[in-house]
Amino acid sequence: MDFYLGLAQIIGVHTLLGLSAYCVLLTGQISLAQAGFFAIGAYVAGMLTVLGGWPIIPALAVAALVAGGAACAVGFPALRVTGLMLVVATTAFGEAVRLFFFNFNYQLERGGFKLGPHGGEGFRQIRYFPEHGWSTLDVMLFIWLFVVLVMAALWWMDRSRAGAVLRAVGEDELAAQSSGINVTAVKVSAMTVGGLIAGLGGGLFAHYTTHIEHVQFGVVLATFAVAYPILGGLSNVFGTLLAVIFIQGFLIEGLRFMGDWRNLLFGALIVLAMNVRPRGLIDAGTVAALKRIFNWERAGA
Amino acid sequence: MDLLDLIDAVQSLADGVLFGATYALLGIGFTLVFGVMHKINLSYAAASIGAAYASLLLLAVVKAPPALVFLVSAASGGVIGTLVYLIGFRFIPLANPLATLMSTVGLLLLIDEIIVHTTQGVPLNYPALFSDVIFRAGPFNLRGDLMFVFVLGCLCMVLLLALLYRTRLGLATRAVSQQPVAAELCGISITGVNVLTFTITGILGGVAGAMIGAAIGMLSPLLSLPLTVKGLIVTVIGGLGSIPGAIIAGLLVGGLENLLQFFRGVSERDLYIMLLLFAFLVFRPGGLFAPAAGRD
Repeated sequence: MDFYLGLAQIIGVHTLLGLSAYCVLLTGQISLAQAGFFAIGAYVAGMLTVLGGWPIIPALAVAALVAGGAACAVGFPALRVTGLMLVVATTAFGEAVRLFFFNFNYQLERGGFKLGPHGGEGFRQIRYFPEHGWSTLDVMLFIWLFVVLVMAALWWMDRSRAGAVLRAVGEDELAAQSSGINVTAVKVSAMTVGGLIAGLGGGLFAHYTTHIEHVQFGVVLATFAVAYPILGGLSNVFGTLLAVIFIQGFLIEGLRFMGDWRNLLFGALIVLAMNVRPRGLIDAGTVAALKRIFNWERAGA
Repeated sequence: MDLLDLIDAVQSLADGVLFGATYALLGIGFTLVFGVMHKINLSYAAASIGAAYASLLLLAVVKAPPALVFLVSAASGGVIGTLVYLIGFRFIPLANPLATLMSTVGLLLLIDEIIVHTTQGVPLNYPALFSDVIFRAGPFNLRGDLMFVFVLGCLCMVLLLALLYRTRLGLATRAVSQQPVAAELCGISITGVNVLTFTITGILGGVAGAMIGAAIGMLSPLLSLPLTVKGLIVTVIGGLGSIPGAIIAGLLVGGLENLLQFFRGVSERDLYIMLLLFAFLVFRPGGLFAPAAGRD
């Protein structure tokens, strides 16, 4: 049972990571810096609870704010470029963050042990949950509480004027600009919201794994972050969730019985998925079809 | 800093510039595909390493001279490049840039895993040419294998430029990169040019992979991600679609990287390269030789 709870925790945290990239992707930009914001959130939250002795919720809030602030600060210069250049710029930022934590050393004496980030060895003993007697189930519910909150907020945003503005910028920047939308402001806000969500996810990640190190936040994680929304489709937030379940639940855990062959299949299935469904698993057509079925059933009843 | 330190610094700069020829070749590969298709092929560095691995298969069967291994690596690079086009680009609508980006990421993971699967993840030794030759110039030593890598890299670049600017094929390629619709109206097959571009960049990648193997002395699947990042950096610093830019940027990044490693150590080296790139993007987003500022 603990295995499935643990899997649910992983899926929850990765959904937050995917949703953070989803916000930026809505404006038509590909950001590979999400792993960097995730790392900032993880280190800040971990340092606050371990070294500062803070409770978890304020620590997570501060972690999200710091990551969001970093995203806002990076957004201004980075969003001057678009397309491939932005991919490279954000990759560079994400890698710079990772390399910063690789060289980051800040340890304090706590209870007879030296605790804190220790360069390449990483940051051990982020033991807030075990110390306060939270069971795996509690942690899982805590993570999913945030996932549901964020998904609901994004779902609501999608239906509001803000969502329409984001999608307008994503569909056609020039048209959006000529209808009076401040494109830079919209992109930077999307980046900031993405940073906030990634920081929150990072904080949760640091606490359930209890040990973070720089290699976890590399280009691979950044690629995963954008892979979820692209694979799931950008028509709504559930695409991202579905893609996370598909990748983490099916491709990584479900195919474990295949041993060594699983990793081979992993890349091949992503290539296949993009060939068969280039607009994502849940695209606009799927949503329309689902709506038709739903309405038809209601009409029949 | 005393004189000895200065000599060491110049020495590491020179070694870095020589090794930078491999970065330049990778940058050219990214830049060519971008120039022709306006797409980014993230699996390129992995394919190059894959081609070098494929050439090792030859060594496993017969005892071949290292020069032949290089040729086989180039040939298998061409084959892999064509396959990458067929699997990751041919059947995906071009209007959707996210889809091809994702499919090349999938291919990157796939190529890496094929390598890990066939070699059990163990790094393999790669033959070097002229590794026992050392040129002495005053207090400086130039390693023969690095010199060879540099000369071979320059040779490839000259051949590529000749192909692009002196043949009908190159004319067609440049026409497609400038105006795909007009090129098609003139009877140029866009698919054909795309396949050709992927084959040529694949061959270059194969040579680059073999050069990296020869310069480092071994091959490991762990090389492909850092090389992807370095290749992208070179592409951007040189300016997207600019071949001379990619060459200069490749040598520049190689030299700076080694110099920073000498001064600040291996763990901080890449941090400064990333910051340099970020500064470039902010202050000169078009790269060194950009045709016009602010183009995508």
